[in-house]
Amino acid sequence: MSLITVDIADLKTSADPDAVIVTYALGSCIAVIIYDSVRKVGGMIHYMLPMSETSPEKAKDRPAMFADTGIPLLFHTMYEMGCKKPDLVVKAAGGGALYDDHGHFAIGQRNYTSLRKMFWKAGVLIAAEDVGGSKSRTVRLFLATGRCTINSVGEETEL
Amino acid sequence: MIERNEILAGIKKLPAFSSTVVRLSSLVSDPDAGAGEFEAVVQPDPALTANLLRMANSAYFGLSRRIGSAREAITLLGVRRVFELGAMAAVDAVVPDTLPGYGIDASVFWSHSVAVAVIAERLSKERKLATPALTFTAGLLHDVGKLVISSFLADRVEALRSELASGELSLIACEQKLLGADHAQIGAELGAVWNLPEAVVRVMASHHAPEVVEQGRGDVLVDLVHAADCLAHSMGFGADVGGMLRHVDDAAIARLGLRHLDLEHVASRALPEIEGLSQFRSPKKGTSA
Repeated sequence: MSLITVDIADLKTSADPDAVIVTYALGSCIAVIIYDSVRKVGGMIHYMLPMSETSPEKAKDRPAMFADTGIPLLFHTMYEMGCKKPDLVVKAAGGGALYDDHGHFAIGQRNYTSLRKMFWKAGVLIAAEDVGGSKSRTVRLFLATGRCTINSVGEETEL
Repeated sequence: MIERNEILAGIKKLPAFSSTVVRLSSLVSDPDAGAGEFEAVVQPDPALTANLLRMANSAYFGLSRRIGSAREAITLLGVRRVFELGAMAAVDAVVPDTLPGYGIDASVFWSHSVAVAVIAERLSKERKLATPALTFTAGLLHDVGKLVISSFLADRVEALRSELASGELSLIACEQKLLGADHAQIGAELGAVWNLPEAVVRVMASHHAPEVVEQGRGDVLVDLVHAADCLAHSMGFGADVGGMLRHVDDAAIARLGLRHLDLEHVASRALPEIEGLSQFRSPKKGTSA
């Protein structure tokens, strides 16, 4: 088994059926997990912020930092690997929030809103999601089967 | 509950904090102190000098030639940066391999500390505040109380998990409930034992509950580190047993005048610096994800 780690503001794809793609410690960040069950190709992004207009120069450098530059890049990378849109299963996790009455730190919520808008426009359905709340999450995608798990404070759940 | 003498015993068990860095911390806040005085304090400390040179010569700074002395490091990187590197070496030296009570290892504690240090400085610049000279250091040291109480929390791990699972209390409130003390309080005691500057000790004591100091004004350093702590947790630096069960202090954020776009801008700019500086842990120690 090879472990492929997706860092913060990073995306990875793989067609190795023995691979597991993992990302750690999603706070307000969101992971979008895509799996093509026909070709056993998987991909994951760990984006940090909703909109690249915050820092256009960073978006050039690291498009996976932002939802609006990173998510399309993830889809395109998978299309270049031969994937077809109807075969893709798309999941999302993360977008947590601090106790924040006035929403100063509503980055998780803004990250999620950005994703929903993009998927709405592009006609992408979310097969499963574990979003919001006060959890910090670690996500794994097993390429052999497309199984996706979330670990949070020692507990593992299926996504 | 833990007794005061247990806490003091826990503090004594930690290695001593670098006295060189403590001396530098008063120099760095003194506008009259020059590079020469700075160098005179660093030079007699071979361990610190070696660490400084290791960091200054790393690819992160991309210097065109190899630095061989504290003087060169100060000339090329500046007094403040060299002091910050010294503070990083000093914190690195006292962090144990794991913090079992928080369910994290040294690398997570370390990257959170570095993240808060970097973000606090950048938030200050974003708001065009006169950044206090100790901002980075205060961010770096804000959580060291955790090094003392981690083992006490580890003894109560089941109770801690069930308190946290109820989602009603923040992590620091759970510490208070289970131990009768929390990492902020104990950090302040530790800071006093280590002779850290008062401004830094205030940050350790109040970073979860910034208060109005006078006539609606807060302690800027405390407010900055509080905001940086919240943003670091949002970004995923420091994910521990408490997840995101931490309070944002509205008044502190309002005093700093931070809007969500400021926070997002700072997050995007801070990330590469956090990643770069996080690699500066001493090579003898292990790393893990």
